[in-house]
Amino acid sequence: MDDKRARFEEQVLPHLDAAYRFARWLCYAPGDADDVVQEAVLRAFRGFEALRGSDAKAWLLAIVRNCHFTAAKQQQRRAFVPLPEENDEVDGHAMVATTPDPESDSIRSDQKKVLERLLESLPEEHRTVLMLREIEEMDYAQIASVTQVPIGTVMSRLARSRAALKAKWLQDVEGVPRAVR
Amino acid sequence: MQCAESLRVQAYFDGEVDAVSGAEIERHADHCNECRALLEDLQKVRATLRRDVPYAATPPKLRAQILRALDQEGATGLRIAETPPATSRTARRPPVFRGRSFWTGAFSGIGGAAIAAAMVFFLVLPGALSPLTNDLVSAHVRSLMPAHLIDVVSTDRHTVKPWFAGHADVSPVVADFESQGYKLIGGRADYIDHQRSAVVVYQHGPHVINVFTWSAGNLRNLSNTTRNGYHLAFWQQGDIQYCAVSDTGWDELLGLVRLMRAEG
Repeated sequence: MDDKRARFEEQVLPHLDAAYRFARWLCYAPGDADDVVQEAVLRAFRGFEALRGSDAKAWLLAIVRNCHFTAAKQQQRRAFVPLPEENDEVDGHAMVATTPDPESDSIRSDQKKVLERLLESLPEEHRTVLMLREIEEMDYAQIASVTQVPIGTVMSRLARSRAALKAKWLQDVEGVPRAVR
Repeated sequence: MQCAESLRVQAYFDGEVDAVSGAEIERHADHCNECRALLEDLQKVRATLRRDVPYAATPPKLRAQILRALDQEGATGLRIAETPPATSRTARRPPVFRGRSFWTGAFSGIGGAAIAAAMVFFLVLPGALSPLTNDLVSAHVRSLMPAHLIDVVSTDRHTVKPWFAGHADVSPVVADFESQGYKLIGGRADYIDHQRSAVVVYQHGPHVINVFTWSAGNLRNLSNTTRNGYHLAFWQQGDIQYCAVSDTGWDELLGLVRLMRAEG
């Protein structure tokens, strides 16, 4: 294996899972996410020299985002935008958590479905900022790099998405009796 | 109706303010009902998302496909070097990464500019100098020197946890996650934040992960950071402050954090 490939595997590929999750949040259709991630990794490899010691995760995710927009534009040009379908859930097998879930009772799984739908209903740029913060645990500076917006915009999007989730979800679900907590 | 301080309170919650501003915001929240409620809501939303959003990994099939594509890329790369670059869509260069230079961008947006300008005064850059961070990295590096890593060698949680009772001020979560790739290899007592800290030691592939734990004391908002190539992930469980330190990747480190949180 040549040197560039080895360095790429060491510095960039550890963030492949994060890139995959990010693509899933952007696309919301597993097949599309696969294509976007693969294209992004190849582009990252070709432009690996541009990384030069900066934050590899934020860099890779920024490329994923660009690939997603390129793909979305091409789809629009073909005037074909697949709508989310009922059976998308069957394809959702890849979203299996990597950790065993100790509480898998039906109430929890219902809540998870509600949460997933609510996240889907958020505007994309709000959803992605929220997930980068809460799930990828990136700081404001990294999120600003990935989404290419000023840090003030990151903050207002975070505030709005959190408020929307709280309003829609916590009120809804907290009416349901909880088995735990 | 929203308190004018809400964005600052959010920044405080996200660990993006320095200690002075943090104390100011805490004082404000003491007598602002709205901001106190906001902090609770932020915590609820975070807890819910971290508990219920699936933490997906790349499907093995896709990973293999990507590695194959990279193999081909390496092979064709040699040919491309000799011939003019292809003009196909896929040959486009990736964007040049702007890195931390967003600070200049922060002032170019229209709506965001005013907020950003106001924020600059109390936002701290990630990895701001902190003696605690230095202590943790030093303790991690020291532990990697011969015979310093482990005081009690055991892969059994029932051996490690009771050992801490006599040697440290806290009793942290101790569990083995060998099947998930994080093997419990033992425990150690250390001295962090002026306390006898309990350190749980894991092996992940070739990497050692030290999980430092100490009594959280007052509400301190520590955010994840990287120092000298070591990643530090902070979190709290109950009244215990945790910090996992390692030279492994963020994903690997946060994978362990997730497992430990689920255990707590």
